[in-house]
Amino acid sequence: MSKTQYSGVKVKRFSKGFVIAHAVNAISFFALYITALPMYTEWFDWLYPVLGGPEGARLLHRIFAIAFITPTFIWLIMDPKGFLRWGKELVTWKKRDLQFFTEFVKELFGFKFKHVKQTFFNAGEKINSIIQILTAILIIGSGFPMWFPDLFPKAVVQWAYVAHNIGFGLAIAVVVGHIYLSVIHKNSRPGYTGVITGEVPAEWAKDHYTEWYEEEVKKGNFPDLDKDKNKKKGA
Amino acid sequence: MADYIKYVDVTKCDGCRACMVACKNWNDLPAEPEEFQGSVQSHANVTANTWNVLSFIEHEDSKGNLDYLFRHSSCFHCSDAACVKVCPEEAMHYTDFGTVNVDSDKCVGCGYCEQNCPFDVVQLATYKDKNGKEYKKAQKCTMCVDRIEEGMQPACVTTCHTDAMEFGTKEEMIKKAEKRLSEIKDKYPNAMIYNPEGVGGTHTIYVLAEKPSVYGLPEKPKVPTSAVVWKDYAQPIGKMMLGATSMALVGAFVSSKLFNKEGKGHEEDGGGSHE
Repeated sequence: MSKTQYSGVKVKRFSKGFVIAHAVNAISFFALYITALPMYTEWFDWLYPVLGGPEGARLLHRIFAIAFITPTFIWLIMDPKGFLRWGKELVTWKKRDLQFFTEFVKELFGFKFKHVKQTFFNAGEKINSIIQILTAILIIGSGFPMWFPDLFPKAVVQWAYVAHNIGFGLAIAVVVGHIYLSVIHKNSRPGYTGVITGEVPAEWAKDHYTEWYEEEVKKGNFPDLDKDKNKKKGA
Repeated sequence: MADYIKYVDVTKCDGCRACMVACKNWNDLPAEPEEFQGSVQSHANVTANTWNVLSFIEHEDSKGNLDYLFRHSSCFHCSDAACVKVCPEEAMHYTDFGTVNVDSDKCVGCGYCEQNCPFDVVQLATYKDKNGKEYKKAQKCTMCVDRIEEGMQPACVTTCHTDAMEFGTKEEMIKKAEKRLSEIKDKYPNAMIYNPEGVGGTHTIYVLAEKPSVYGLPEKPKVPTSAVVWKDYAQPIGKMMLGATSMALVGAFVSSKLFNKEGKGHEEDGGGSHE
């Protein structure tokens, strides 16, 4: 386990809308993954009895498919400001974003690394978001012709199977990495509690998302940790 | 075991529909009353419970004469079958005779075969279990594999009274088709043997009097490109990617444990660690 000690000062990182949207997204993604596995590969045929037979698996897959569409709207309705910031950050790329990846690889494999100043979303999270958006479009868009084949031309239905597979393959590869970083990798683990409670340790936020943290300090929303530290030193 | 083929010479067919009846009868298929089709034809196409349909086509030939064309239609039993390729449960499979069959125990009713068959032959039948719950299974002509196994011929072939259909080894039947084609070329200049290469050849080959499209058949059927991309590329790459990412992260985990034993790792510009 990490020996990292944080002072206990917490700051608000995620809105309620984000926390709910993220949870619905995560839960429905996994439910979709599990209910589709026996159809994807015969290694998982033993799941059919667990899921109530092929019909049960199909029904559950469709229920969770609807749930999977909702997070975007939940976030957009409950926290439009946060949603827009996300959109804006995804299209803003600077030199520091590229520097982030060099340092991130070192961090991932446990070597010494430097923090590169990042905004609310770091470059890794931005890439993750972009891939997730693209794959969600592929998966959801292709899901309709698969569900309602009578409403679409045959060629569209046939290519939908391909798109669903490519979308899923890409998504799961990214999700495995996303979960590893949040649950297992020690330096980014506070982010995991963050998406559940909405709050993260102030020091961690300052290290990982310096630019955002400093902005919030300027606005008077977050404590200025450097000032506090200097005070303590001086005392 | 040798490949067996059903040879259908449509120019000998007189549209009696005995093959349809024999098929229903042997395979215990329920009757499917249909709306009037506008011709003598009983069903628009083969269905999950009608594996064999006699199609009646009113055709104007190149001289402007009316020709009444018949075609016994059922599964083609492709050598490179799209239904077998896309089936996720290996329910669609090749038999020892080279024909294509559905294993009902394995079929989960996903309908991938239905969506990908270039001939629109495979369809899903709906059944009810003892609790009244509905479930689906793919159904299509089996080439009476249960009869073939016992040394008999498919029911439709046995019952055909004009010898429009025959059943035998691939070489024998193809030779027969070629001979027949040379005989009818004068009367039917557009006549051809229908054994499309795009699906690796079929186990029901036809001698057609006219172009395939006249009979409602695709001129050049093939395994859909989407099915090839999906099954031969997207799915294996997907499995590989999942494996590769997992391995990379196992590597990252082990490496982190080796190189970062104290749980410390980062430096800050112009300052010490706060940890």
